[in-house]
Parts: sequence; structure tokens; C-alpha cells
Amino acid sequence: MTELLWYITAALAIGSGLGVVMLRMPLYSALSLVLHLFTMAAMFAFLDAHFLATTQIIVYAGAIMVLVIFVIMLLSLEGTEKRPSIFLIGIAGAAAFGLLYMMAPAIRRTFPMTGGSLQGDVGTIGKSLYTDYIFSFEIASLLIMVAIVGAVVLAKRIKKNAT
Amino acid sequence: MPLSNYILLSAVMFSIGAVGVMLRRNTIVVFMCIEIMLNAVNLSFVTFSKLHNDISGQVGVFFVMVVAAAEAAVGLAIMISVFRSILSVETTDSSELKL
Amino acid sequence: MIWFILIVKVLIVFQIALGLASVCVWVERKGSALIQDRIGANRAGAFFYTDNIFLKPVFIVVRLLGVLGVINTLLCDAVKALFKEDFVPKGTSNFIHSLAPFMGVFPVFLAFSLIPFAPDFVIAGITIRPQVASLNAGVLFIFAMASMAVYGATIAGWCGNNKFSLLGGLRSAAQMISYELALGISLVAMVVLYGTLDLYDMVVAQTKLVGGFLPAWGVFTQPVAFIIFFVAGMAETKRAPFDLPESESELVAGYFTEYSGMKFLLFWLGEFAEIALLAALMVLMFFGGWDIPYVTLPATWVGALIGHLVFMGKITFFCVLQIVIRWTLPRFRYDQLMHLGWKILLPLSMANLIVTAVLKLAF
Repeated sequence: MTELLWYITAALAIGSGLGVVMLRMPLYSALSLVLHLFTMAAMFAFLDAHFLATTQIIVYAGAIMVLVIFVIMLLSLEGTEKRPSIFLIGIAGAAAFGLLYMMAPAIRRTFPMTGGSLQGDVGTIGKSLYTDYIFSFEIASLLIMVAIVGAVVLAKRIKKNAT
Repeated sequence: MPLSNYILLSAVMFSIGAVGVMLRRNTIVVFMCIEIMLNAVNLSFVTFSKLHNDISGQVGVFFVMVVAAAEAAVGLAIMISVFRSILSVETTDSSELKL
Repeated sequence: MIWFILIVKVLIVFQIALGLASVCVWVERKGSALIQDRIGANRAGAFFYTDNIFLKPVFIVVRLLGVLGVINTLLCDAVKALFKEDFVPKGTSNFIHSLAPFMGVFPVFLAFSLIPFAPDFVIAGITIRPQVASLNAGVLFIFAMASMAVYGATIAGWCGNNKFSLLGGLRSAAQMISYELALGISLVAMVVLYGTLDLYDMVVAQTKLVGGFLPAWGVFTQPVAFIIFFVAGMAETKRAPFDLPESESELVAGYFTEYSGMKFLLFWLGEFAEIALLAALMVLMFFGGWDIPYVTLPATWVGALIGHLVFMGKITFFCVLQIVIRWTLPRFRYDQLMHLGWKILLPLSMANLIVTAVLKLAF
């Protein structure tokens, strides 16, 4: 039962990923990406990483994609770009498929087992984040502050004064 | 569920994202394909963390999400700023240095 | 057996969610009429009469319900919405127009799956917990669903293909993401206080007595967090006094301008279910859930039933409170709304969190 659910989720993930790449209008790509982020959160939940699954929905699907959709709506983007030639699509698709075809048996040989019993709940991640990785945590908060200031400065409209 | 399935899925998603970055010309769609690639890498981080029973993989994913959020904010601000000058978000329209 | 229990739980929870939403719709119509000193809906079904002696009691009940406006709100409005023409404005896609009500409604019902409705009880040797999904990251999931609720309004606003709708949608999205922060941080303060993320364990932690006589309810131990949660929750559900996105031009309905019929009813139902969800969360985290102070309930199905009724009573009180607040207070201006969200509620919730964490470490 879990296996079937996993295959359905994986198919949805690949389908929505292809949707992002192939759909014409940017708004449809954004909604397809939201679905993809949900399926990735489900994958994290399959791997018992519950905190990361909910954080993925809160941060990625709930905040970053809202921002992208805002920008698409404010700029009123339509899907007017030219479709890339079928030749380029063929080359890219064939190269990707060929590489994956060669890699797949090697991957399957290296990871046959089902892994350990790690439960990624909030307490475990919190302990590790505040003891081993405290420096990175503080730097991350500094990075976010720099990003906020940068985004406000870049998106500000510069009024040209008469004087 | 053998863990190799997760790694294969991550590889497939990464290649879909890479193909998208190379082929699409709308800057926002390119940004979204970059997010697909980041998600694929997050999935493989979490898989390895489950394999080795080490929580550091998941902490790594946390930091990747933080950086992706910061990058999204700044990247979209740049796109808005460029849109004000050239009124288009296609990558081919901003290929000259003169604005 | 486990599947059977799960299916029964899902059906019961869905029934409760829809039932609470319908009751809220009725209370809104009749309650608003009472507050505004008018009568409200009382015509449909109020004049049914029969000569058949066996059907007389039934018809007395139908007449009573008609006079109270129940038949009008619950039956007539639903039938009207089902039969209305469902048109999609020209120039937008059909798919997204149909997707928007779905995205407005599904986070709310998904969040209802995390609410425990009664204490644990034992039947035939099996302990049943009346909660559809007990995740160990419980409260975080509710916060994730609050983040997803932004999409319904934003996409509905875009779909209208006119500037009023778009502005309404974007304003509502900006309001919701601003108040989500204060909501989340006050939730974190509650998590620090109770030491757990699971909603059931939070209620269990409130059944103790603090100071010997006061029940350890969240509202007594964290009054600031309660006020912030209540205000931010009302802003999240876009209810007055924060309902600028809905009634923004006072004539055109903001982001639901181009919706009619069943899709509009879906949005409306989602909004009232969100009111019920907010009431349920407040009761669970701040008012002890199903706990009656100074009384311990037995762990049988009788105790669970009593607890459930107490819980429903408290939720109904908060639903009615939100509806009364909506019809009493005037609406905020947009800059006042943003000022409240970012400059007052957010620093206050962070200060509350720091004080809670310090006090928890000290004692």
C-alpha cells in the first residue's frame, strides 16, 4: 500500500516537474511547481523527515511561491516567448535520458538497503541546529537580513528629481 | 522501499530542472526550474541522512531552504527592476549591455 | 479494523466541520439581523400547514425552523446556488477559475484532520483517539495549511480578468502573509510553554491546576499570546474588522467578484469553516479543550461524549463571538491594517516569546 502511494507520488512529482518546464503560461508553471513542492514534501514524509516536510510547505509552497505568483500577476506576464526548436528539445531530452540510463544500474547496485531508523522530528533537528551548527544558523539569519535589505533596495522605484 | 528509488527520482528531477534552465527563455520560469533542481538535491540530502542515521543531512536541507528563500527574494527584485527598464522578462531581450 | 476506525473518524470529522460551517452561516444571517435591529430571513417554510393529523407535529417543527430562518439559509440558498448559471469571464482560463475555490477550501478541511474532538476512550479493549491524524509535528502542519490558504484568494483575484479583482486578491494575499507571522510566533510561544507540538498533549497539559485553584488554561498562563492569536487569526480569515479585501470598493466584492453559484458557495463555506477552525484552535490551546475545571472525566465513551459536548459548546461560543465582532466593529484602513500587523503584533509576539522562554527556563 505504501509502495503504491510512493509510486503515485513519484509520478506526480515527475509530471508536475515536466509541467513547469513545458507549460506555456508562467502562471500555470508556478501552480505546477506548487504541486511539485507538495509531492516533495510527501517524499520527505516517506523518509520520516516530518519537520522538513512541514517546513517545505510553509517556506517553499507557502511563501516563496506566493512571492513568485505575486510578481507574475503584477507584471502581467503572458506566455509569449517563442517555443524552442524541436531539435534542441530532442538533443536535451536524449542527453538527459542517456545519462540516466547509464547511471541507473550503478545507483541501484550501491543502495540496496532500506536505511536506518532516523526520525527527523523537531527535537532532534533543533538540538543539532543549536549545538553543532549554531554558527551556520546565525550566519543564515544574517543572510536573510541582507536579502531583505537588498530586495527592498532593488525593487524600489527611484524618483528622478527635477533639481 | 529501497533507497535507490529516491536517488533515482532525485536524478530524474535534477535533469528535468537542468533541461528547463537550458531551454526556457522566460526568466521567471528559469528561476522555477532552478527551484526544481534545489528540491531534487534536498531529496537526496534527506535520503543520505536516513541512510547513515545522521541528522546533519536534514540540517543541510534546512539551510538550503533558507538560502533558496533569500535567493528568491533578491532574484525577483532584480527581475522587477529589469522589467521596469526593458518591459520584458525574456532573457533574449536583455542580451545587450545598453539598457 | 484500523481502516474501519479511520474511515469512521474521517466521516465524523468531515460532518463536524461542515456542520459547524453551516451553523455559522445561519448564525451570521440571523445574528446580524438581531444586531442590526431587523428581523432577518423568516419566510421560507413559515406558512406550511397540513390537515393530516399525523403530520401536524412535523409541520410545527418545520414552521418553527422556517421562522428562525434555518430553512431559508441552509436549504434555499444551497438550492439557489446549485441552479445558478456558472459563467467564466472571457479571457481567463476555465481551469484556474475552477481551481481557485478548491484551493481556498482544501487547506481548511485538511487542517481539521488534526483537531482532537474528545478525550481518549476505551471501547472493547482498544483505545481510540478521536483525532484523524496525530502527527508529531502537529501545530506546524496547521501553520502550513494557513500558508496554503493564501492561494485561494490570490488566484481568484487574478481570474477575474479585471483590475478590481486583481487588487482585491493581491491585497488579501499581502494581508494574510503579514498576519501569518504574528500567528506563527504566538503559536511557538504556546509550544514552548507546553513542551509539545501535538494538539492532544497540549490539551492534556491544561488539565492541571496552577497555583492550586486556577485551571492551567492557556488564557491564564499566556494572555498576551491569546490576544495576538485571536487578532491575527481574524485577520487570516479576512473577517471584519479586517475584511478590506472582500468589501474593498463596497460595491464590487473584491476577489470574489466574478464568482457565482456553487463556486461562490464553496468560497463562503471555506471561509466559515476557517472561522470554526480558528475557534477550535483557540479552544484547544487556550481554553482547555474538553476540560471542565476541577472535574476529571472517565475514560469511557460516556466521558468522551461529555468532553465532546463541552468542546463543541466552547467552539460555538467562539464562533458566535467572531460573528458578533464582525457586525460590531468598523473596518480598518489598509495602512492601519499593515501598521498593526507589522509594527505592533509582530514585536509584541516576539517579546512574548522571549519572556515565555526565559520564564520557562527559570522555573
